Amino acid sequence: MAHKTIKVGLTGLVLSLAFGGLLYSTMGEATEYYKHVDEVMTQPGDWYGKKLQLHGYIVQDSILKRKNSLDYKFKVHSNGHIVEATYTGVVPDTFKDDAEVVLKGTLSSDGFAVSPNGVMAKCPSKYEAKPGAPTS
Amino acid sequence: MAALGSYLLLFTFMVAAYAAAASVAGARRRNSRLIESGIGAFYLVAALMTVASGVIIYAFVAGDYTIRYVQRYSDSVQPLFYKITSYWGGLDGSVMFWVFLLSLFGSVAVRVNRERHRELMPYVVAVISAVEMFFLFLMIIHNNPFETYLTQTPTDGRGLNPLLQNFYMAIHPPTMYLGFVGLTIPFAFGLAALITGHLDDSWLRAVRRWTMFSWFFLSFGLTLGMIWAYEELGWGGFWGWDPVENAGLLPWFTATAFLHSVMVQERRGMLRVWNVTLVIITFLLTIFGTFMTRSGVVQSVHAFGDDPALARLFLSFMAVVALFSFGWVIYRLPLLQARHELDSWVSREAAFLANNWILLFSAFFVLFATMFPTITEMINGERLTVGPPFFNRWMTPIGLMLLALTGIGPLLAWRKSTIENLLQQFLFPVALALAVSGGLVAMGVRVWSSGICFALCGLVFGTIAQEFYRGANVRRGMTGTDLFTAMVGLVGRNKRRYGGYVVHLGIVLMFLGFAGEGFSRDEQLLLKPGEEATVGRYVLRMDAIRVTDDGQKQMVTAHISVKDTDGADLGRMYPAKWYYRKHEEEPTTEVGIRRSFAEDLYIVMPAFELADQTASVEVHVNPLVNWLWVGFGIMALGTGIALLPERALSFAAARMPADAVTASLLAGALLLAPAVAEAQHVDGPASQLQIFSKEVKDVTRKLACWCGGCSKLPVGDCACGHCALVKKEVTQMMDEGRDEKAVLAHYVTPPTEHSQDDVHRGESGHVLLSEPPDVGSGRLAWLLPYALGLLGLAGAGMAAVRWTRRPAVAVAGGPSTVVAPELQSRLDDELRDLD
Repeated sequence: MAHKTIKVGLTGLVLSLAFGGLLYSTMGEATEYYKHVDEVMTQPGDWYGKKLQLHGYIVQDSILKRKNSLDYKFKVHSNGHIVEATYTGVVPDTFKDDAEVVLKGTLSSDGFAVSPNGVMAKCPSKYEAKPGAPTS
Repeated sequence: MAALGSYLLLFTFMVAAYAAAASVAGARRRNSRLIESGIGAFYLVAALMTVASGVIIYAFVAGDYTIRYVQRYSDSVQPLFYKITSYWGGLDGSVMFWVFLLSLFGSVAVRVNRERHRELMPYVVAVISAVEMFFLFLMIIHNNPFETYLTQTPTDGRGLNPLLQNFYMAIHPPTMYLGFVGLTIPFAFGLAALITGHLDDSWLRAVRRWTMFSWFFLSFGLTLGMIWAYEELGWGGFWGWDPVENAGLLPWFTATAFLHSVMVQERRGMLRVWNVTLVIITFLLTIFGTFMTRSGVVQSVHAFGDDPALARLFLSFMAVVALFSFGWVIYRLPLLQARHELDSWVSREAAFLANNWILLFSAFFVLFATMFPTITEMINGERLTVGPPFFNRWMTPIGLMLLALTGIGPLLAWRKSTIENLLQQFLFPVALALAVSGGLVAMGVRVWSSGICFALCGLVFGTIAQEFYRGANVRRGMTGTDLFTAMVGLVGRNKRRYGGYVVHLGIVLMFLGFAGEGFSRDEQLLLKPGEEATVGRYVLRMDAIRVTDDGQKQMVTAHISVKDTDGADLGRMYPAKWYYRKHEEEPTTEVGIRRSFAEDLYIVMPAFELADQTASVEVHVNPLVNWLWVGFGIMALGTGIALLPERALSFAAARMPADAVTASLLAGALLLAPAVAEAQHVDGPASQLQIFSKEVKDVTRKLACWCGGCSKLPVGDCACGHCALVKKEVTQMMDEGRDEKAVLAHYVTPPTEHSQDDVHRGESGHVLLSEPPDVGSGRLAWLLPYALGLLGLAGAGMAAVRWTRRPAVAVAGGPSTVVAPELQSRLDDELRDLD
């Protein structure tokens, strides 16, 4: 019995170490910081080049679209801080003024460059919206 | 109404409390009257919840906007169907719907098992009642769906977002709930077994059907979610590893694991602690899934509420459940000793064990990655997230391993496989897998994950085919019928095993769909009028952008002609944007999809310029994606077979004329054929924009659309582009003065003398009569459906008579009396597995 326990324990240990190591090593490149606009824009320099998921609200009347293209330029704010973002591609139906969005991409001195398919607007849901948040 | 509802909930809570208390007390005192009264109260809960559901549905239909919940999720113009489905539209109602389903399921489970598992019943009742009490408490304290406005009452409701007034979205949540709620029943039986100490395998037998049933609905709900995402959201994919999607997937993993490990316990008496643990974990994950989507603990693109009070309630409930259940597991450990040890790693039980580990690992991996932002925030205040690529990187090899095990598991013998039977079993499937890989290499496929996936699909397919063939062959030798009848008989004899193989086949097809993703491509294009663009083997040309209005919404539709690179016309596609009245700010994107089994052409139009008629479109080519839905259909069939009552399909057990089964199943398959064809239906708004005279309509209704996708709808009623052309042609001919007969004759070549069938290919090769002419052989075609209906009725009657006469049949002697003992033992060996 003791022999078996040791065997099972060792196997478990080796397996969990292996998986833990693999998980850790693959994690590094896959992680992104999840931040609100104000958290980032107080010290923007610290975040240049880091992979970010930026949470905020679209500034009213800030969405500009280049004619005959899918190039967008818009501003996102939260708690009084604003960042300008650029994006090329398809935006969700709910992407509009005041919408709550999460943008994937990187920050630089030119603003926030959203990566392809990096715009997520809050899905209109049957379920309760956060009190006070836009209802879409 | 509102007051009635609220009091009903309060009263139900009390009744549930009584049911729990009376059952436990009755069981401890061995007082059967007390137990009976507990069960009675338990049924009463179901009755009360039914009434409460009736009340809320009535409030929705009658438009009682004094009730907040009703006001919030419906309005007076909403169609009746969506008024009813608004019942589970929001959090409050969905909790109530949950309790309603649980009370119904619980009552059925108790009713069915009352005699057979008498000793477990009081505790099953108590556990389910306790869960009901938690959710009722939640409703009464925190989310009362019957809450009213205190001061002023709005005159109309706010209405549901039009995006969600969608058929899939209406049935997707209840399907998920059916799965989630159903998994409470195995948990209740498991816990009852732990508490009473009746830890033989009888509780497993009581719950395996429930688990299978719930598992099916969970799979169905997940598939519906995928279809919705694919067809409505317009990003070209079907699974985005969103926390809400993952919440549904977690219990699916553990329930799948449980369905497999149950067999090891039934067969070999092993994994007993493991099974009971799995049931508990599965239940916890269903609660966790509900909690995760509703509490805002994980940031998700679904705008769910951020509700700390609700989160605390759920967390406490989960903690109590976990402590209580695992406490009992530890207490009962001595009774849960395995009867056997693992004999060899090359055995069926070892394969099941590996399958369980991988499934459980998947569940924990997905859980971990979903919770990762919350975990990191708790540890160092920094919210870190991981995206879909991370999930895919891990889940792809995990999925492939599971697929491999699906192929390997059934080939291994219980206890220990010898080298000899390994060779005999693996030869064909492995050869098939190798042949597939060879073919792929020859074809120049260089996507590793997909290539391996295809090869493994070959392996699993080989395994299933071999199992069916060998089983049926043995049976054929025994019963002397043809191979196909033998196969049906085989399935009838051991529904769970062969139903399971059919499910595996469905999984294989679904994996084909996943593997296809490796070859998908997408491009963003700017299309100007008349300009052509090439994507893959398709050439797209923008014809026009048109604006139409149907009263409910304004539709901006791009008309895009599609050709293949050889210049053959593939029809038109119509991606669109719809602007609903009152919701002009939120246009919905309507995807143009051209389906085929090989690949989907999927066009989205996110932006357009009406003035210069240009559109920015995103084009996806998604190979094999339709196999996902087909695979699910097969899976549903397999689950259906496994769930059939004991003696169903016994008609094929050799007392019917040998070929009857083959013939009737073929007839059945033919009846199903139109449903399959429908999967390729290509909708187009063309017909909405054209007006034809009544004469033209009458004539074209007699012709069938033969474009391959419209399930042969009458041309007059069909909306596809092809039919629009035909209608135009007919208009022209009628304008030229040809009469109806002449027009029909134009499309229909007269049947030759020898042709017995009623398929008359027209000169265009595309259009055929939609109804057979009421003369000659045509009359036969008219009769066929009725004949088939009568046949089915007769079959059902015969089955009913047979089943009621069962004992007599057994005495009269089945095939077993005439079978050589050696064959019988071989067959028994084959069939005893798993059941």
